Amino acid sequence: MEKRQINKEERKVLNSMFWRSHLVFNTFNMAKMQANGFTCTMAPAIETVYGDDMEGKREAYIRHNNFFNTHAVPFSFIAGLCYAMEREHKENGSIDGQTIESIKAALMGPTAGMFDSLFFNCLRIIAAGIGIGFCSEGNFIGTIIFILIYGATQSIAKYFLTYWGYEFGTAFIDRVFSSGLMEALSKAASVLGLMMVGAMTASMVSVPVTLTLNIGETSLVVNDVIQSIFPGLLGVLLLFLLVKLIKKGMRPTQLVLGILVFGMLGAFVGLF
Amino acid sequence: MVSAALQICIVYYIVSLLDPYILSWQCINRPIVVAPLAGLVLGDFTTGVIMGAALESIFMGISAIGGSIPADATTASVIAVAYTILTGSDVEAGLAIALPIGTVMASLAGMLTPIWASLAAYWEKLAAKCNPKQFLLQTMLANLATPLVNTVILFFAVAYGVEGLNAFLASLPAWIMTGLSASSSMMIAVGFAILTSMIWNNEVGCFFFLGYVLVAYMNMSTLPIAIIGIVIAITMFFNEKRIIDLKNSLTNNAVAAADDEEEFF
Repeated sequence: MEKRQINKEERKVLNSMFWRSHLVFNTFNMAKMQANGFTCTMAPAIETVYGDDMEGKREAYIRHNNFFNTHAVPFSFIAGLCYAMEREHKENGSIDGQTIESIKAALMGPTAGMFDSLFFNCLRIIAAGIGIGFCSEGNFIGTIIFILIYGATQSIAKYFLTYWGYEFGTAFIDRVFSSGLMEALSKAASVLGLMMVGAMTASMVSVPVTLTLNIGETSLVVNDVIQSIFPGLLGVLLLFLLVKLIKKGMRPTQLVLGILVFGMLGAFVGLF
Repeated sequence: MVSAALQICIVYYIVSLLDPYILSWQCINRPIVVAPLAGLVLGDFTTGVIMGAALESIFMGISAIGGSIPADATTASVIAVAYTILTGSDVEAGLAIALPIGTVMASLAGMLTPIWASLAAYWEKLAAKCNPKQFLLQTMLANLATPLVNTVILFFAVAYGVEGLNAFLASLPAWIMTGLSASSSMMIAVGFAILTSMIWNNEVGCFFFLGYVLVAYMNMSTLPIAIIGIVIAITMFFNEKRIIDLKNSLTNNAVAAADDEEEFF
């Protein structure tokens, strides 16, 4: 793949994205997790790419305010990649919004896993090990070493990953686009995206039913029965119920409040 | 006691605002950084540093994985240091109360998660207005509010003792806490549902269940699933490519044939 030179304007956008990509946990919440951080990071890219195209801009902002969750470092890589994809979406229209969404969804799980092992489970332990050694003797240098090894490195990695994501995205798109295979790519991307969403649903969504039915002498733990039929059945049912409600035009606020009411009522009657 | 509590709350507030909301390192809010700072404010820096080392080793293993905000090691560290320095008790006693406090604070903060989650729809509406400056401003203001709740609780804990806090939690009916934790684990489904409805495609929708089963039955982690997914995606990509090539060559042949005929006549 031929490496394309990044021009001055792109460099400006990427630098701004790098600084903004520190806002990963901006208004972090359980419904959409890092969505707002991602919107803030994408804002310079969206503004430059779409300019006066208000409709396209609006769609892009909504697209990048969707559920997002990964480790804070590859967050920058995915943002850079999305910049490349949004540019292609606007300039040539070869990538549709759904493909961008699928690629984002496909990337968040594995990158989170990879960088959790790299930073959280490896570098943090090393940094803490060295730091604790100094600090337990009352030497403050341990704290500084900890911040340098575990904190500052994240920013350095973020800087390079923002650029790398954009360069990689551009090169990849150029190659696929020049061969006229965007349609094939978007299908492959949605396979991968849906698979990863399925995997994340299984590991993150749960309906914690603790109800026990007492029938005469025997007691029946409802959750065990459901788990033995299909693990996490209730979670999948809840998800598809919500998908259906969204397609019917229900607003996320209504869904969140509905779940809250359901959870409290359920706990009150002993369902949870 | 009250002025010491105020000082420590200011430190706590700045630290928890800075990280993760502004730096996203999840590093400045670790015990090894927070405890020395708390010690510095309370006038016993060395004790703070030493306790920082001990607290970091306690909390090193206790954290959420997968990009979520870790359990409340920050508050626990601050209270442990404050308790040790302010009451003049030994370091071990301070450390002993750190862990229970971490759990208490995490569950108190957990009570508010539904509120932050219900704001998600407002943020989406705001994002759709295409005003990035306004979006940044309002979200950052909301970030100011988030650690404020814990800061206030921390203030009362340091100023009036931790026992009162425990008593308050114990006096709540159990169903409130269970209900809140049950609803926050179900709320993640809303985000996934929005995502699923965006990328759903009837032709390949079944792959959702492949990913699901790999986790639910095989307990696989995301990386191997991604590799399997990539293998399938590549296979599918080349199949589609072959179909597209075939289609193109058919139309080309048809065009060529048509040209031939025109030339013939």
